[in-house]
Amino acid sequence: MNVSTSITMQPDAEDLENVFAAVEEFAERAEWPMDLVFQVKLILEEMAINVINYGGVEEDDPIDIKLKTEGDTVTIEIRDVGQPFDPIKDAPDPDLALPLEERPIGGLGLYLVRTMVDEMHYQWHDGYNHLTLITRRLA
Amino acid sequence: MDVTSQRTGGALIVSVEGRVDGANARKFQKAVESVIDDDDGAVILDMENLSYISSAGLRSILLIAKGLQKRTAQFAVCSLQDAIGEVFRIVGFDKIVTIHSSQGDAVAAMGS
Repeated sequence: MNVSTSITMQPDAEDLENVFAAVEEFAERAEWPMDLVFQVKLILEEMAINVINYGGVEEDDPIDIKLKTEGDTVTIEIRDVGQPFDPIKDAPDPDLALPLEERPIGGLGLYLVRTMVDEMHYQWHDGYNHLTLITRRLA
Repeated sequence: MDVTSQRTGGALIVSVEGRVDGANARKFQKAVESVIDDDDGAVILDMENLSYISSAGLRSILLIAKGLQKRTAQFAVCSLQDAIGEVFRIVGFDKIVTIHSSQGDAVAAMGS
């Protein structure tokens, strides 16, 4: 089934609720399994929260999201006007072997995203971060 | 997101329901910490009705676990839904936090 949708997120964590509702509505139309719905919400939250916390975006700088299902492939496109940030190169993997008392606080979000997608493409273009994430979980 | 608590068999059981995300993770952490008394020696976080967690929520759980470890109280989580168990495994939390499949198992393990 080939379907797509666009979601505009305000740069505020409080708007996650609306994004999640839009994902659920789209997932129903696209007939996504439950675990994929969970993963897509998680991916969108981690990337959006990163932009909101570190991207230096202003109140009127929305984050543009596109979701697309084509055959067995799900594509997530995220565009934001924040500071250039390449989540593939600019974020180190956390050390998962550390014991509780030595575990740093944070650094897990992008790692989760990287483990959940098959492809990740980043481009800085026309003053925007363009991130494309692809997963083939529907096969 | 809702947090409720009860004491059973010497353990404090804190149950969380709904979503813990970037918008409410701090509130979640404060709600859990506020029901823990200084003399609670064992705390179980029951996630049976937790449907979603992101890294913001994991951060809160890590901080709660660190706080309890500092004063040598026991901490465990139980009844994780499949997708949440998967997230715990990916970030290696299954190595640093005790996970039980049911509340009963968790209470029994704390008592021993």
